[in-house]
Parts: sequence; structure tokens; C-alpha cells
Amino acid sequence: MKPTRLRATLTGVALVPVLVWTLFPIYWITAASFKTELALYARPPQWLFTPILDNYARVLTNIPFFQYLKNSLVIAIGTTLGSLVLGTLAGYGFARFHFRASEAVRFLVLVTRMAPRMVLVVPYYLMMQRLGLLDTYTGLLVAYVSFALPFSIWLLIGFFVEVPLDVEEAAMIDGCSRLGVLIRIVIPIAAPGLVVAAIFAFLVSWNEFLFALILSGVEAKTLPVVIAGLNTDAGPLYGEMSAAAVMVMLPNIVMTLALQRYLVKGLTLGAVKG
Amino acid sequence: MRISRNVRYLAVAVLVVLAIASGSDAPASAQAKTITLSMLAGYKEDVLRANLPEFEKKTGIKVVVDAAPFGDLYKKQLLSLSTGGRYDVLFMDEPWIPPLSEFLLPLNERMKTLDTADFIPTTVASGAFQGTQYAVPVDPNVQLLVYRKDLFEQKGLKPPTTWDELLADAKALHDPAKQQYGIAITASSDIQTALYMLLAMWSYGAELVDGGKGSLNSAAGKKGGEVFLELLKYTPPNVKSYNFADVNKAIQLGQAAMAIQWASGAKPMEDKQRSSVAGKLGYAQVPKAVRQTPMRGVWTVGIAKNSANQDAAWQFATWLSGREFGQAAVTFPSATSAIHSPRFSVLKDPATKAALPYADALLVSLQITKERPRLREYADIQENLRVTAGKLTAGELTLEAALKEIDAGTNRILGK
Amino acid sequence: MAAGRAGRWFLLPGLVFLFAIDLVPLAYSCWVSFYNWWLIRPRDIRFVGLANYTRFADDPEFTRAVVVTTLFTVGAVLVEFLAGLALALLFAQPFKFLRPIRVLLLLPLFVVPVVGATMWRVIFHPELGVLNYYLAATGLGPLPWLSDPRLALVSITLVDAWRTIPFMFLVMYAGLEVLPAELFEAAAVDGASAWQSFRHITVPLLTYIMLLAVLIRGMDAFREFDIIFVLTGGGPGTATQTIQILNYRAFGLGHMGEANAIGIVTLIIVAVMCYVLMRAVLRPQAAPS
Repeated sequence: MKPTRLRATLTGVALVPVLVWTLFPIYWITAASFKTELALYARPPQWLFTPILDNYARVLTNIPFFQYLKNSLVIAIGTTLGSLVLGTLAGYGFARFHFRASEAVRFLVLVTRMAPRMVLVVPYYLMMQRLGLLDTYTGLLVAYVSFALPFSIWLLIGFFVEVPLDVEEAAMIDGCSRLGVLIRIVIPIAAPGLVVAAIFAFLVSWNEFLFALILSGVEAKTLPVVIAGLNTDAGPLYGEMSAAAVMVMLPNIVMTLALQRYLVKGLTLGAVKG
Repeated sequence: MRISRNVRYLAVAVLVVLAIASGSDAPASAQAKTITLSMLAGYKEDVLRANLPEFEKKTGIKVVVDAAPFGDLYKKQLLSLSTGGRYDVLFMDEPWIPPLSEFLLPLNERMKTLDTADFIPTTVASGAFQGTQYAVPVDPNVQLLVYRKDLFEQKGLKPPTTWDELLADAKALHDPAKQQYGIAITASSDIQTALYMLLAMWSYGAELVDGGKGSLNSAAGKKGGEVFLELLKYTPPNVKSYNFADVNKAIQLGQAAMAIQWASGAKPMEDKQRSSVAGKLGYAQVPKAVRQTPMRGVWTVGIAKNSANQDAAWQFATWLSGREFGQAAVTFPSATSAIHSPRFSVLKDPATKAALPYADALLVSLQITKERPRLREYADIQENLRVTAGKLTAGELTLEAALKEIDAGTNRILGK
Repeated sequence: MAAGRAGRWFLLPGLVFLFAIDLVPLAYSCWVSFYNWWLIRPRDIRFVGLANYTRFADDPEFTRAVVVTTLFTVGAVLVEFLAGLALALLFAQPFKFLRPIRVLLLLPLFVVPVVGATMWRVIFHPELGVLNYYLAATGLGPLPWLSDPRLALVSITLVDAWRTIPFMFLVMYAGLEVLPAELFEAAAVDGASAWQSFRHITVPLLTYIMLLAVLIRGMDAFREFDIIFVLTGGGPGTATQTIQILNYRAFGLGHMGEANAIGIVTLIIVAVMCYVLMRAVLRPQAAPS
């Protein structure tokens, strides 16, 4: 398998079914957002058609979409930042410091992620009710950071342990503090891990439904609850749902495009040393 | 250092987010004249939102809408009410009235100020439990028979009035080779399956609960069940995965000659963007056997017992069930939005008949409709019915075993 | 590196936050599971000991749900892990044209779960769906995707795979990206084949990340709800009725004791599964730390 051109071709060929499988439903959702419901079910299936904007118009006029979009964005960005900061610190702590119950505590971190959310939502609701945090950004943000954190911690442990100790020690001899080492040496090397943790923390908050439903009402309602509302007892409003889903997808794509340049080799050891 | 600058940006960003977050923590309902409404999201919410400014202008009362999807609305209302929650007014499906009655304000005195003569009587009953009125009807729903006028004419058939005629017509119009099926109903583990089955059993005289006990396992129940299973021979081949929307699709895309469907599904059938048979449909009462029992499902509005704004809430409830809103709702220009009206004056209005081809069928059916058992435990009983009907149609149980299991479940829930 | 006082300040903020936010509700829910508490009867809350748990033992519906959930979880995670790993390896190759495609591959993650599942229901529609249209055209179908008990379980697995292969891919791909390139170059110089360097360099170095991906996906799949609820609602019959569907029902009807007991049982099953898997995978090598 030496000749790279052959390998490139094979790779390309292998990707075709993968892309069809992955993208077809996305195309179908996007197409549905520009179609009438009748056209969505047309036989033979319609691949090319004259797009209509009615679905978008209805979503934007029937519900205060942008208010909910703002809620979703603020909470998701907050969740991402919160879980990154706490996750980086704790992940580094676990990766570099051992204490007696280290393993057990780490497993306990994972256990908090295993409980069905349906079970946690009622006590959490009562807790937030006591604290007066129902229907607030804070109430949801705190919940979502706790959802995202176990994965962030565990994932970042895996990336931090790959950072060679001697590089860190050299920096500390040069007078760098622990936190300084983490920020200047460890984080750049483990950047792909942080990117993945960020993307998933964002998505946890962005797509979460149950807590958003129960904890929010008017002020802090997020988009998944609104979109679920388009799945009515008289059936889904396919066009409107798809239009909303497409609009909801866009911020994710923008964020991923912005982050993906850190998702590469390059910030490897050599680069840091040099 | 580049990286530490990034950290500083990060810190600033965190602070900004926290500031925005805490800024919105202030309660929105500080003013006296604001009421919070728990509403069904989606295709009824839009009608309400479009008309709400009118009410707010007229009364000076601001209505804050908390809309939740159908599948979660009851849960959210129950959780909120039982933990001293924050709703003033609630939009509720009628089976929820008995279990939620505990937390609702009795309205008997206030009802006297309402022009109740204009309401179809059965719809008013949907808001009552054990002699007390807890809610006012807003949006009545009932099962209808939908049929293709053109196909019936072609074959020289008359719309069926009995289950035997329905079976005969379904058979006559069933032509799988042409992807033309006699009737669309569901035979899945969807709730609609249980309700179709119950409808047939009711028609033959069976009761889900009688004398405080499960009593579907009777000759009448068995007969109704047989008719229901017989119908499945003339449906699209995969009704075992169908739900409410699929029944609508089968009609809208011209595949089914008939359907039994709730009135709330009828509006999209008449929309050219969604239906290839718009204008070709006829609507009638569901078929009968020993009696005619179209099932009732009315959306009602009630007031929380612990509401601090009961008078404003009542003003809103009367407006929502009033003639003005009803008329605006039935003629609301959207194919997917459906709020009907429980008032004779609205349903008989020429403008309504022009907007809703099924207005007459709705009006007649609502007057002869049958209600599901009014019990606190009904939601559990219906859930047991749903699961068992799903097992029956999937072939996991025979009809005899299913009927026994339904009654056993009902008795267990009722503590018998 | 030995434990230092400094470690405490790295660990405490996250751990205190996490345990305060999650362990308190968890303890509460454990406590509630010993009560008979129906939300519609707020004045009739009784301590019933283990009754909410013992009823599972002789409830065939619950046993069935455990089996269905386990089948779904094992099937879904296996498919997703293999596909995700294959894709990660494919994309780790140094070809420029792979860069822009990477984002395309992630798109299913960005679709709100309920919409993704709803659209799959449209695609799967037996009479009107696009899938059966082309299957019929090619003589392979139509297939009863959601109405056949066995196929329904496969269908929900497929949809779950569609949505979460990108997760597996991204985690393992990022893991591959930080592996030191020098090791692979040295192996190539020594004449190691692609398989040998995969087996002896990639797998050992990636074990932790792979394990983590499987654990996280496993616990999510075990608790999967949206997809199943939208696609089949647990049917046909009880063919896809998972523990979460039962939990949703108990919760939705306001049976708090029963719902919490189901939740605690789920937690225990998942925790045991994760623990066993971790032990099995990490025993041969030391845990990375």
C-alpha cells in the first residue's frame, strides 16, 4: 500500500457509502424544510424541487424563535465554558496527582453520569424550586455542567497523561507554577481533547430536552422543548420541525468549523519545544 | 504570552455569561396583572398567541404562556401543581381533570355568570368531576368517520352507519394491488389503537369500567374486539407501526378510502399543501352497533387553587371559551392549527361551515358523544389498555387473553 | 509524580460541584424509591420498604424490558464502536481532502434528537417512505421496518448508530491525533506493517480512549429514550419496550416511588456493567495515571 494515490482513491471510495448514510437523512430534513408536506411524501421521491419558504415563515412568526435561540446559546456557551474550566482542572488533577481513593473517586465521577435523568429531574426540580432558580439560566446551566463534566474529566485525563512528564518538569524548573504548566504546556498539547470536550459539552446543553422541559417555563425555555412542541398530538408538523431543526443546526456547524483547526496534529511536542 | 491572553478572554467570557444569566433571574411576574398559562405547544399555541394581544388590550391583563409538548404537558402540570408551582391557568385535556381536581379551583359559582346555554352540554361535562365544575371547555374533539366521497360514488356506495356496513364498504374499496386500502386505523402500541378498539367495544355495549370494576371481558367486548380485528384485513399492510399522523397521511395521500379519526386531525386533510384529496372528503358520525358512541376528548381551561390571580384567571378562561375567540379560532388561516369551539353559535355560523367542511359532523357527534370513565385513576387504566391493545395487535395475546388482562389491570389499579 | 497539596486545588472545584449537584438528587431519589408516592394523592405517601423493587422480580414485563434494553445496548455500541474506529483510522491518514469532509461526518450530532428520529420515521414509512420506495424498485423490499418485532429493534439500532457513530469517530479520532508521530515513523523504519503498528502501537495507546468511548456510549444507549419513543413507542407489542420506556410511563403517570426504583435499578445495572468492562480492559495494562 505504498503508492499514496492508490490509497487516496481507496479512501475516497470507502467514504462514499459512509457519506450517503450520514448525509441522506440530513438532506431529507433540509429538503423537508423547503417542501410542502405533500411533496415530502411524494412518490417517486422528489430530489429536486422548487423550494418554498413557508415553513420558515411559520416558525418565525408563530413562536418567539429568536428569544429561545438566545436562551439556548447563552446556556450552551455557559455550559461549555464551565465544564471546560472545571473539567480541565479536575482532569489534570486526576492525571497528575494520586491519592488513596483516587480510583474510587474517579469511578464515582462516572457514576453521576449513569443515573437516568428522568430520575434526577424531580429532586433537581425541587432543589431549584427551593433556591428560586426555576426557569432561570442558572438553574439549567448548573444542571448541564454537571451532565457534561464527567465525560470532560474522563476524556481529558486520557489526553493529559499522554503529555510527557519531562516537558512539564523542565518547565517547572524554569520557574513555572503548576497552573502555568497546565496552561502553557499541557493544554496546547492536549488541544484535540479540549476541542472534543467543548463540542460535546455544547451539544449536551444544546440538545437536552427533559430538564429544559421541566425546569424552564417562560424565561429560560430552550429550543429542543420548542421543537418537541411541533410534534403535536395530531402528528408532527414536518415542515416547521425541519425548518426549526435546520436553523438549530447552524450554530453547531459554525462552532465546529471554528474549533476544528485545533483538532489536528501540529501542536505536538516538537512544536512546543521549538 | 498568547495563551494567557486567551485565558483572560475565557475568564471575561465566563463573567459575561454569568452576568447575562443572573440578569434574567429576576421574576417576570412582579406586576399584579400578569397570569401564567400552562399551554399545549404547537398547533393550538399559535392560534392562541395570534389572538392574545386582543385579550391583553381589552383587559390590561398580561398572559405569560408556558407551552409544553402534548406528551409532557400532563406530567409538567401535575408536578407543578403538586409541588406548589406557579401556574394560574391551565389548558387541560379532559381525562386530566379528575386527577388534577385536587389542585384546581371549583368554578360552580362562577359558572353561573357564563351563558352555558350556548355550550354543547357534553363539552361542559368534560370539565366536571363528581358534581363539581373544575374547568371550562375551550376546544372540543370527537372521533369522526372520514370517507372519500369520490370513491364511494364510483362504487355506488353509501357512507356506512353501522359496523357491519363499515366492514362491507372497507372490503369493497380495498384494492392492495393499486395501493388503495379500505380503511386507515392504527394497530400498533400507540394510544390510538386502544381508543379505536374501545370505540368498537363500546358500540356493542361493553364498558371499560362498570360498577367500579373492569368489565370489558364480556360478550359485547368480545364482539367489538372481533370487529376491530376484522377491520385490520382492510387496512394498509403496516398499520402495526401506525400512529395518529400515519392515519392522517393515509387519507391525505389518497391511500385510504375511509378512516376513523379525531376531528383535530381533519383540518390538514382539507389543505392542498398537505392533502391530495382536499375537497373530496365526506365526514359522518362513527358507526354504531347497539349504540353510537363517538369518543369525546375536550380541551378545557381551569384555574389553580393556589393562584393569587383568580379573578384575572377567570376573565381569561371566559375569554378563551367565549364566542369571539372561538370564531377567530375556527377561521384561523392555518392548515395545521386547530382549535374548534364548544359553542352552538360558533359551530352553526356560516363562516365556520365555510372554513370547516366537517363542522356539521362535529356538531352532531359532539351531542351524542360518550365520555371515558371519570376516575382519578383513569390515566393508569388507559395506559394499561394501550399496552394490552398493543400486545393484542402484535399477536402476543389472543383476544380472550387480552380482555382478561385489561380487566385484571383495571382492577389492580382500582385496588379491587 | 507524587501526590501534592496542589492536587487538591485542581480536583476540588469540579468534584465539589459535581457531587453537590448530582449526589444530593441521587440520594433523594434513592430515598423516594422506598415510598409509595403517587403525585395525584399528595396526602397518601407511605413507606413501603423494598416493595417497589420486589415487584420487578415477578414482573415479566420488566424482565423482558431488561433483555430488550441489553440487546439494544450491546448491538448499538458494538456497531458504533467498530464503525467509529474504522472512520477514525481512515481520517487519520494524511490526505488533504479529508479535512472538509470531517465536519460533514459530524452533522448527525447536530440534529435535535427528536427531529432526527421523526425524519427517520418518515424515511422508514412502510407505504410512503423513500427507503421502501427504492427497495421495492430494486426488488429487495418493501420491508416492515417498524412493524416487525425483530426488524423494529434493528431499525432503532440503525438510527441510534446514525446519530452516534460521529461521537465514536470524533473521540477516537482526537485520541489518534495526539499519539506521538515519532513512534509510527520508527515502526515504519523497522519495517512494521500497517496491521502490526495498529496492533502494537495504536491499540495499546488508544485503549483508554476506546474504553471511555464505549463506556459513555454504553451508558447512554442503555438509557436511550427519544429515538425509541418516537420511532416505535416501545412496539410493536412490547418488542422495543426498554427500561426507559417503563420509567417514562411510571414518571408520566406520577408514580414517583416506582419511577425512582426503576431509575435506581438502571443505575445499578449500568454501574456494574461499566465496572466489569473497565476491570476487564484495564487489568492487563495499568490504568493510565
